[in-house]
Order: sequence, then C-alpha cells, then structure tokens
Amino acid sequence: MLTLTKDRTLALALLLIISVMWVESGNIRPPTSWQPYGSALFPRILLVVIGLLSLLILARSLLSGAPARTQPRRSFTEWLAHNRTVFSLFALFGLYAALLPVLGYIVATLAFLIGSLGLLLGIDSRRKWFINLAVSCTLVPLVYAIFRFGLNVWLP
Amino acid sequence: MADFFIEALGLVSSPAVLALIVIGVLFGIIGGSIPGFTVTMAILVVFPFTFAMDPVSGVSLMVGVFVGGYSGGIVSGVMLGIPGTPSSITTVYDGYPMAQRGESGRALGIGVAASFIGTLISVAVLVFFGPLIASFSMNFRPWEITALIVFALTLVAGLSNGALLKGLLAAALGLLITTVGYDRNSNLRFDFGLPALGSGFEILPVMIGIFAFSQLMGNLEKLRDEQDEVKGVDTNVSIPYRRILKDMAGQKLNTLRSSLIGSLVGALPGTGGTVANFISYDQAKKFSRQPETFGTGTPSGIVASEASNSAVAGGAFVPTLALGIPGDLPMAIMMGVLILHGITPGPLMFEQNPVLVGAIYASLLIGAVIMVLCQLLLVRWFAKISLIPQEILVPVVLMLCAIGSYALNNNLFDIWVLFVFGVIGYLLWKAEVPLTPLILGVVLGNNLERQLFRALELNESWMTFLTRPLSALFLALAVASVIFSLYQDRKIQRNRLKAQRSDAGAD
Repeated sequence: MLTLTKDRTLALALLLIISVMWVESGNIRPPTSWQPYGSALFPRILLVVIGLLSLLILARSLLSGAPARTQPRRSFTEWLAHNRTVFSLFALFGLYAALLPVLGYIVATLAFLIGSLGLLLGIDSRRKWFINLAVSCTLVPLVYAIFRFGLNVWLP
Repeated sequence: MADFFIEALGLVSSPAVLALIVIGVLFGIIGGSIPGFTVTMAILVVFPFTFAMDPVSGVSLMVGVFVGGYSGGIVSGVMLGIPGTPSSITTVYDGYPMAQRGESGRALGIGVAASFIGTLISVAVLVFFGPLIASFSMNFRPWEITALIVFALTLVAGLSNGALLKGLLAAALGLLITTVGYDRNSNLRFDFGLPALGSGFEILPVMIGIFAFSQLMGNLEKLRDEQDEVKGVDTNVSIPYRRILKDMAGQKLNTLRSSLIGSLVGALPGTGGTVANFISYDQAKKFSRQPETFGTGTPSGIVASEASNSAVAGGAFVPTLALGIPGDLPMAIMMGVLILHGITPGPLMFEQNPVLVGAIYASLLIGAVIMVLCQLLLVRWFAKISLIPQEILVPVVLMLCAIGSYALNNNLFDIWVLFVFGVIGYLLWKAEVPLTPLILGVVLGNNLERQLFRALELNESWMTFLTRPLSALFLALAVASVIFSLYQDRKIQRNRLKAQRSDAGAD
C-alpha cells in the first residue's frame, strides 16, 4: 500500500487546492478588447506552475520510495496526544478570534492569556498561577492603554 | 542629498523620534537575546505599533528594532551558550568559552563594539551604493523589473537548504495569495462568494500568520522534544572597558573585513545574517596567524561574527531601497511597513522621498550609538530577560500578533486571516516547505503582476523579455540560480546517501 509521506501529502493537497482554484478561475471576468490578457491569466500561470511543481515533488517522492522510519508509527490518538499542546493552542486562538467581538478586548484577551499560559506553564502550583495572573493582568491593560491612548486605536 | 540628510537628521533627532529609536533598540536587543524569538519576530511584533505614526517615526522605530535585534543575539550567545538569533551562531563559538573563563563582560564588550563598527560601516556602504544602484535602476522598464523579481524569487527559493522544488513552490504560493480580491482592472478573483475576500488579504496578517505561528509552534515542539532547561546563569557582568579598547585595537583589519562581508552578503537576496556570520568567521580563521585559537574564546572570533551580522542591517537596505526587492525576511517586513505608509520602495524613492531615505540613514547611525549605550549599561538586565521561558513568551506574542492584525484596519476579519494563514504556515513548515520565499512572494506579487502586464501592454510579444539585454540577463541569472541549486540539491542528497551507507556499514 502507498505510504502517505510528508511530500506526498503536500503534493496531493496542493493538487486538490489548485484544481478547485482552477475551476473558480472560470468565474473571473473574461478578456475584453481593452483588457486583452484578462484577469485570469496571471493566477492561471501560477496555478500551472504550482501544479507542475507539485507533480514533480510527488514523482520524486514516489521514485525515491518512502523514507525509513526512525520512530515507531503512532496511532491517530497517540499522534493527537503527542501534539496536544500545539493543537490546543491553535484551538484557543481560534476561540479567542471568535470571542473577541462578543466579549470585547479586555475579557477575551484576559481569558486567552490565562488559558494559554495555564496550558503551557501548567496549573499545578501556586507559583505558576501567580506568574500566569501577573503576566495576564499586567499585559492586557498595558496593551490596551498603549493602543487606545498612545496610538488612538480603538480595540473591540 | 546632503540637504535632505540634514533635514532628516533634524527630524530623527527630535525627542519623540529619538525616544522611539531607543524603544526600538531596546525591544530589538530583547528580541534578539531571547533564544527562539529572532529579529524577525521582534520586527513583526513592533510593526503594528507604527500604523498610527507618520512615516519617519514609524521607519525610525523599525530601524531601531533592526539595529538592536542584530546585536541582541550576543547576550544569550555569551551568557547561555545559545544563539539568540541564527545570525549569532558563531558568536557562541568564542563568546561562550570566554564567558566560561569568567570573562563574560569582555566577550559582551568586544561583541557590542564590533556590532557598532559593523553597523557604521554598513551605513557607509548603504549611503554610497544605495543612490548609485538606484540611479542605475531608474533605466529599468517593466521587462527588467519583472525579470528582476523573478530572479530574486528563484534565488531565494534556491537558497532553501536543498529544497529547491519546495522553495519555488512556496514562492508561487506567495504570489498566488496576492491574486485574491479585486485586481488592477477591478475584476474580482477567487472570492468564493465571500464578500470579505473582495478586498484581498492584507500583507501584515498573512506575513505574521505564516511566520509567527510556525516559529512559535516550532519552539513549543522543540521544547517538548528536547526538555532542556537553562540552569543557573550568573548575570552579574562588569565590562572591562580598557581591555576591550585594547582588544579592538588589535582587530582593525578583522573588523573591516567582517563588516564588508556582512554588508555585501546583506545586499544579496536570500542570504542574511546567518550566511554572513559563517563566511566572515571562516575568513577570519583563514586570515588569522593563530587559527587554532578559534573556538576557544578568542576576541577575533567574536569580532568576525558580530561585526558581520550587524553589518547586514545596512547592506540589506541597499536592494530594498534601490530596487524595491527585499533581500531577506526582515527586509520584506520593512518593505511592508513602507508600503503601509504609502511609500513604494524602489529607485523612485530616492527622488520622491529623499527625506525618508535620509531618515533611514540617520536612524541607523543614531540607533547604532543607542545600541552601544544600551548594551553596555543594561547588559545585566538583557541577560536576565533572555531567560524568559517560551511558555510565557508564546501566548503573549500570539496575543500581540492578533491585536496588531486587528489594529491595521480595525477589522476583526484580519484576525481570522492571521489564524488561517497561521495554520497554513504551520502545516507548510511541518511539510518542510521554506517560508521565506512564500513571504517574499506575498510582498512582491502585486508588483510582479503589474509590471508583467504593463510590459505586455507596451509590447505584446513575450520575446521582448529575451531581446532586452538587462531583462535577458536577469532571466539568465534566474535560470542559472535554479541550475546551481539543482546541482547543490543533488550534492546534498549524494552526501546524505553516503552518510547513510557508512552508518549502515558501521552497524
């Protein structure tokens, strides 16, 4: 069975994306007498270049075979557990982006900082909680003051 | 130009702008001194604070970060034995052994003095060559500019450590990102029915997302895999000024050579401080009468490393200002700052915005002086700050990135752009795709398309790109850089196979 390596996944994902974009490029207004090259030409050139490079990466990867594993293969749940910190941080940031317009800068940012510092530092000692709260409660109003009063930028 | 420089010096010397340069230098040093933070990250974090400023103030602040950032790597390099930035790797070779002998103050002092002289020499190179190249490139027409951008992108892609195909792929992806939204003819492209995509992507959230997320998440993964902790470090440093003056007096030629290498390498696209660092260290060793002392804590090694990496700051401005082609990642972001303030870097900048060009020169000079003062007076504190753990740094930087992206247009959509490109950047980084060509593609994409179609509107034949001598030369250089990179790739793969075979044989 074909092993899905990094290069193969990258090439296949890009081929899929550029196929979708090629179809979407059909919606771009066609060339006219005063725009003889049209607006689709440049992106289509790039899509062809990306497609060719992806095919080359795929071909090279297939010809050279899958690289030898240095570590035992992980199951999906093991892989998720191994990367849980990074994935959780991404999820927290996504949540932060979603909550920012709802809760406003102060509350949402405070929640994000306390949550992500708790995730990375841990919450198993008083000292860690102290560092977490000290960093969060100092930085959030400080950044607000710099943007609002120093740079005249309204934060949500 | 002299009049404009004096006018610019007057503007930059105002208390408000001076204060901004001090803040920039301080932040740059702190950014450079924290392992894994890098100069680029420091610049990205400060960038949003320039939105509400006038161009001179904004550019001065950013230049301050540049100057401080390039010199900041020495602190953690000497004190912890960990380079704060990739461009200070060779500083560790001699700075750390010297500190281990109880001479950390001497090592830091030599490094700071070399950084200062390196910056000054690179400013001289910039002042001399910048206008010269700009006046030459005034003759460039759309064909030449198109070919030059293609050359710059292929060169940067080719320098991606044995990953030419992925480098080219990244550059093309960067260019593709700029095609989203309304184009030069007001035609809508790739909006997928979402009104928010009509105006395309702002450069800033895209750049921050791609670079910052991959870098920060990478730092976290490294932390998880290595689990190395910095143990007690003595941050009590006193600077032996007389000894340093004596050391530097014996390093005149080394300082000049390393600074010129740094300036030259900085001016080449895709190279930057790391390459300059290794070349000048290697050259200093070759020219030394006592090459065996390198790596044991010799002043020559620290001078070669620090003079060259700081000289990159001035050198890197040459192609950015004179040609509108940023040579490396920090310069691509600097170009973003200028574009954001309505200034298009390139040969016309010397005619249309001479005061701003003068302000960059003046900020570099003043920044260098402030850098020396800050480093010598506050080095103990920088050493303490460089111990800030990544677990605290990462959430704080992510928060600043989000607020910075929002502040650009007071638009929450930009935070989503940041997030999406953060995920994309992280995935590409995991797939070992070099991100520098991608960011350069994002910065240069609009100009490439504009120049390409301007050329075709003036003369519909594509052959004109090959019949105009300079355009043909740049395209030939682009092809040559691809062929050379292919050769390098094969060599790297051959060496890898050889190493694998010898390992198997040994087993």
